[in-house]
Amino acid sequence: MAARETNPNFMNGVPELMILRLLEQEEMYGYEIVQAIRSRTDTVIALGEGVVYPVLHELEGDGALRSRRKIVNGRSRIYYSVTRVGSHRLAALSENWTNLAAAVQKMLTGGQHANAIR
Amino acid sequence: MPMLFDELRERLLQAGIAPRYVRRYLSELADHLADMRAEEERSGRNRAEAECRALIRLGGIDELARAVIDQAQFRSWSARAPWAMFGLAPLLLLASSYVVALFILWSGWKMFLPSADTPFVRIHGFAILYFGFGKLVYFGAPILIGWGVGLIAARQRFKEAWPIVGLVLIALIGGTTQVHASRTAVPAGFGHISMNFTLGPTVPGVPYGLLHVLAIFTLTVLPYLIWRLQKVLTS
Repeated sequence: MAARETNPNFMNGVPELMILRLLEQEEMYGYEIVQAIRSRTDTVIALGEGVVYPVLHELEGDGALRSRRKIVNGRSRIYYSVTRVGSHRLAALSENWTNLAAAVQKMLTGGQHANAIR
Repeated sequence: MPMLFDELRERLLQAGIAPRYVRRYLSELADHLADMRAEEERSGRNRAEAECRALIRLGGIDELARAVIDQAQFRSWSARAPWAMFGLAPLLLLASSYVVALFILWSGWKMFLPSADTPFVRIHGFAILYFGFGKLVYFGAPILIGWGVGLIAARQRFKEAWPIVGLVLIALIGGTTQVHASRTAVPAGFGHISMNFTLGPTVPGVPYGLLHVLAIFTLTVLPYLIWRLQKVLTS
């Protein structure tokens, strides 16, 4: 059985950003979140799907997410949604990530290094 | 539920992750696995293949365990501060139980035996029930608290010395505590209740005191030792 290739650095703040972004639009349960990440990143971001739960629980512990149990098609699911704290955190993370992505892009396209890293 | 979850549970508990968190994590993982298996089966795979692919997608045990263990907020209090959980908390609980037991003794003395010099006399009727409850709290507290310590240690797969330290402290205090009550002990004539810690009022009483300590310790440590033995045998 071949092991799947994963992104080891995925855990460095990116899951938080993606989860908060997805849950800002609608409440979801863990499996839905992972499927949404897979489909919206064209499976570029690959991770052991189970590791999404510690991230969800950590965000919930920090007050960025709230959860509620819901019965859907006879199965009990834990749905997560973003709180006001989570929205603020998403805004901060998005800004950081946009700046970082722009800086990396600038580096790759030969832009000025000094301007890129601030 | 696959063996992966049993192994993951043991690994997380041994790493000091709180049992209620481990339960929630495993329950969500099990739901996730069921969803993935159903998805794989819908895409035409047989059950065995679907299960196999779902397990790969879920992540390896190291990855799943590390994602939790790396986060300090999921650790239980007994892992963060074992000295408080197994040393301080049982002592505080024991002290509180003794306060309750002494209050029952004092109030019962006032209510049922207002003219007696001591509450340790023959009693009748409802007083038997009232003082009996106080005795139950007094003698039962060390045992119940000891079992509580053992239960927490077992749930957390705790192997370090702290649970034993806690049980020894409980046995020492439970076995050496003595209560004295006398109306004539103070000049004003009010009832006076005191508590001290000694193995016996006289030297010949020491073996009895030691026996009491040993009895409490044996009674409280036994369930914990049986659990440890079971773990050794099953592993």
